[in-house]
Amino acid sequence: MEDMPLSGPDNTKLEALVHDIYSELVEDACLGLCFEVHRAVKQGHFFLDETDQESMKEFEIVDQPGVDIFGQVYNQWKNKECECPNCKRLIAASRFAPHLEKCLGMGRNSSRIASRRLATNNNMNKSESDQEDNDDLNDNDWSYGAEKKAKKRKADKNQNSPRRSKSLKHKNGDLGSITSEPYKYNYNTGISYETLGPDEVRSLLTTQCGVISEHTKKMCTRSQRCPQHTDEQRRAVRLFLLGPSASSLPDADAVVESDNFELPDGQTLMSRLQWEDSPDISPTDSASSKASTNHSDSRKPKKKRTSLGLNSGGGSLTGGCSSSSGSSQNNINLSTKKKRPKLSAPSISRT
Amino acid sequence: MRASVNQKLTELGERERLKELLRAKLTECGWKDQMKAHCKEVIKEKGLEHVTVEDLMVEITPKGRALVPDSVKKELLHRIRAFLAQHAT
Repeated sequence: MEDMPLSGPDNTKLEALVHDIYSELVEDACLGLCFEVHRAVKQGHFFLDETDQESMKEFEIVDQPGVDIFGQVYNQWKNKECECPNCKRLIAASRFAPHLEKCLGMGRNSSRIASRRLATNNNMNKSESDQEDNDDLNDNDWSYGAEKKAKKRKADKNQNSPRRSKSLKHKNGDLGSITSEPYKYNYNTGISYETLGPDEVRSLLTTQCGVISEHTKKMCTRSQRCPQHTDEQRRAVRLFLLGPSASSLPDADAVVESDNFELPDGQTLMSRLQWEDSPDISPTDSASSKASTNHSDSRKPKKKRTSLGLNSGGGSLTGGCSSSSGSSQNNINLSTKKKRPKLSAPSISRT
Repeated sequence: MRASVNQKLTELGERERLKELLRAKLTECGWKDQMKAHCKEVIKEKGLEHVTVEDLMVEITPKGRALVPDSVKKELLHRIRAFLAQHAT
C-alpha cells in the first residue's frame, strides 16, 4: 500500500513511531482544552450561559409537530379573515392588501379598473338587485360584471390589467356552460319579482331583459338584447308585471311588432301608444347626453333610426373633434357594428 | 531516529500544521463540545472554587483520547506516515 523505504521489522517501529506522534498530538489538543476551560472557570465565564434556570426553560427548543422550534405555528394567519375598515367586509388575510388597494382606490391599477368598470356599467344594467359593493367589481376578482364583460367584450381587453388572464379563464368557463346553466356563476343570480315594488320593477325592465325563468322564478338580468329570450317573452313579462297600462318597453322593435301581437285586453291601443312614446326615454345609460343619444340611437339600428343615429352621432362628435372625417367614419363603423365598448370609449374620450 | 524525526517535524513546521489540523477537525466533529460538557460535570462535582488543571487533566485526557472519531484518527495517521515516508532517512 505505502512505499516504505525501511525494511520489514522496522515497519513496526515505524508504525509505533507514527502512533506515538499521533498520541502526542492528541494529548496536546486535550491539554489545550483543559487550560482553556480552567482559565474560563477561574475567570468566571465558563458557566455564564447556565445561570438563569427560568429563562433557560423559557427558551428551550420546542420539538412538537406542527410547530417550529420557537413554538410558533407557521401558518396561523392563513385562514384568518380581516375586517376591511372601508367596506366592513371580511376579507381573507392573503387577499387583504389587494382588496384594500381597490377598496380605497389608491393602488396602481385601481383607478384604471374603476374607470373601465364605469364605462361598461353605463351600458349594462343598473338595477338595484345587481348592486354588489363597488369594490367587488373593482377587485376584479370574479364578479357578475366580469362575467358579462368576458362574454360580450372579446375585443376590448384592458392591456394593463394584471388580471387579464383571469377574466379570460372565466370567459372560457362561462362559454362552455352558458347554455346549460346560465346563472350558475352568479351569486346574485336574478331578481325575484315578488320582492320588488312597481317602481323598481319598472326601472328594472327598462334596462334589463326581465324574462322570468321557469325553474327559478327569477327575472333575467341580462340586457334587452339577451339572446336567450325573445322580445315576445320580454313583452309578456312586462305585461304580467306591470299590467297592460304601465309597460315601459322602449324598444322600437316592440312598436313594429305590436301590430302582430294580440293582447287579451282591450287596452291594446293604450299600450301601443305608450310604447311609441317611450323610445325617447332611452334608459339611463350615462350622465353625458351625447353618450346617451349615441347609445340609444345606435344600439337599436332599425331602418328608420340608423340615419338619425348617424347624423346625430356624427354631428355631436365632430363638434368636439379635430378630424371630422375620422370621427364620422368611426361613428358609422360603431353604429353598424353594435360594439358597445368601442362606442363608449370614443364618446367618453371626446367629451 | 526518533529524535531526528521529531526534530524534523518541528523544524519543517509540520508539527504545527498537524496540530492545527487536528484541532480544526476535532472542533468540526463536535469532540470539543462533548469534552466541554464533560468538564462541566467534573467541575460541578469538584466544586467551582477548588478545581485545578491537574484535576481536569486527569479526568479529561483518557476520555478525550477515546472519543476521537475514527476518521480523524485515520487521516492524521496517514499524514504522519506520509511525512515520515518523505523525510525519514
